[in-house]
Amino acid sequence: MSNELEKKTLPALPRFRPNTDVLEREEGFYIFMDMPGVNKETLSIDLRENEMEIRGKAVYPRDEDAKALHVEFGDGEYVRTFTISDGVDREGIKANLKNGQLELFLPKAARFKPRRIEIQAG
Amino acid sequence: MVIDFSTYYDLPRNLDTFFEELWRPSSLSQRRISYPPVNISESEGNFIVRSEIPGMDVQDVELTLNEKSLVIRGTKKSEVGSYYRQERPTGNFQRIVNLNVAVETDAVKASMKDGVLEVVLPKAKESRPVTITIDAQ
Repeated sequence: MSNELEKKTLPALPRFRPNTDVLEREEGFYIFMDMPGVNKETLSIDLRENEMEIRGKAVYPRDEDAKALHVEFGDGEYVRTFTISDGVDREGIKANLKNGQLELFLPKAARFKPRRIEIQAG
Repeated sequence: MVIDFSTYYDLPRNLDTFFEELWRPSSLSQRRISYPPVNISESEGNFIVRSEIPGMDVQDVELTLNEKSLVIRGTKKSEVGSYYRQERPTGNFQRIVNLNVAVETDAVKASMKDGVLEVVLPKAKESRPVTITIDAQ
């Protein structure tokens, strides 16, 4: 039992899979993730081959002089991995974090973009 | 003589569950069933209500305070496009935090940072603890 106790006292953050929306618009794909408490410094986005890993830590400051009466959320680490298809222009991926919401824009590669074919009158 | 030990037989397991409860991270008071999740803490002079509402500006969140309760209300809009996956809640939300003590309504402050709303409600003078000095005779 003592081993178990030691393990639990280590400050390992509970992991969450952040709620995510994935949607497609004409120009590309958008990923929206709810990551409250995460700021630019604690967020990392890694792209390896066709895997994109997003990690963010939310650590709330302890107020020593206040006692918790009711707790529904706490510190945590958000982790989620996405597989990126060849249809995405990797160089053009943009990320924007605002109000604890991460927005990723994955533009479609040129050859997958819809295009209009011109008809030539003969 | 018969001694009933049955309540003690389970002691090791009981101890384990006791420690499980004790060490559970952040020991949540409630499962995430209501949206948005709310934390309430109390310091000597203030009540602090925090809530995780990502993707909202502070002016989009409507806070109403009356004598009995603090109401957090707002609307989360959905994005336009064809969805492959939708996990984030959309639509109207409302949480009511009951206050059972008087607060200084005029001095309440609200701020929003990284999607976390923080409302500081200073306690009214009459609900603060008062130290009474006892004169020794």
